[in-house]
Amino acid sequence: MKVAIIAANGGLFDAYKVFNIATAAAATDGEVEIFFTFEGLNLIHREGVKQLPMPEGKEHFAEGFANANVPSVEELVGMAQELGVKFIACQMTMDVMGLKKENFTDGTEVGGAVTFLGYAKDADITLTF
Amino acid sequence: MENVAKTLDAKGLACPMPVVRTKKAIEELSAGEILEVVVTDRGSIADIPVWAKNTGHEYLELVKEGDVLKHYVRKGGEQAPDKEESKLKTITNEEYLEIADKGPVTLIDVREPDEFAAGHAPGAKNIPLGQVEQRADEIPAEGDVYIMCRSGGRAGMACDTLGTLGRKNLIRVAPGMGDWDGPVES
Repeated sequence: MKVAIIAANGGLFDAYKVFNIATAAAATDGEVEIFFTFEGLNLIHREGVKQLPMPEGKEHFAEGFANANVPSVEELVGMAQELGVKFIACQMTMDVMGLKKENFTDGTEVGGAVTFLGYAKDADITLTF
Repeated sequence: MENVAKTLDAKGLACPMPVVRTKKAIEELSAGEILEVVVTDRGSIADIPVWAKNTGHEYLELVKEGDVLKHYVRKGGEQAPDKEESKLKTITNEEYLEIADKGPVTLIDVREPDEFAAGHAPGAKNIPLGQVEQRADEIPAEGDVYIMCRSGGRAGMACDTLGTLGRKNLIRVAPGMGDWDGPVES
């Protein structure tokens, strides 16, 4: 099972959607690559990941997250990497936002759209969040 | 369930952690060994069987104890031959079909009731592996008794369990229903 994911949004809910599917796929022996672009770069940004916003008006879900004992996004990022999920940061967005490879979690690679397409062209599952 | 090689306590953890932990835990086992996964995440009821199917492991059963869910998964892959196993008398599906063709036989199917209901060999009696010990008196102590499951693993364990009760008339049919070309009842 080959899974290609585009993460283009940077909220807390987006992070869970991306990393839950990615870790579940990797734990099911899937090969997983995530292409982080635009606000999606927040999800692997060393500081940004610690303060991902809840969607406006949904802040009350914070309690639900705590009660359900959902792992933190940082834990999921580490878990995904441990399971071999590959992170690709979008070069173009990094240039626009003035970000460097060092701003992202260790192991993140940098590539362009074609890098991701080259991986995704024969993926079994392609998802965009 | 008996013969659990390792227990994973993932109680309180939410999706996807039960599956992630299960994957890690099963890596530490050898092929054929059984992992017990104890969780409270209700999503796991559907997830762990699908996970097992997609990763080449055998999902055995789910036991519910209140809010606690216990999943049993047997690690897939090549099974290392062990001494207990080699003492087992085993015949192939084809050999069994020839014997069954000649006259009435006693066949015990130790799969779970839902697997049994979906299709079993004609005349088979269903005693799930987990109940074999307490229902041993339903299994004749004299004459040949054939034991079957899906792939041969549970049948081997059932033979072991009955062997410890002094039964010596057991013959495992392997692989079993997972590769069955004979007639099927449901």
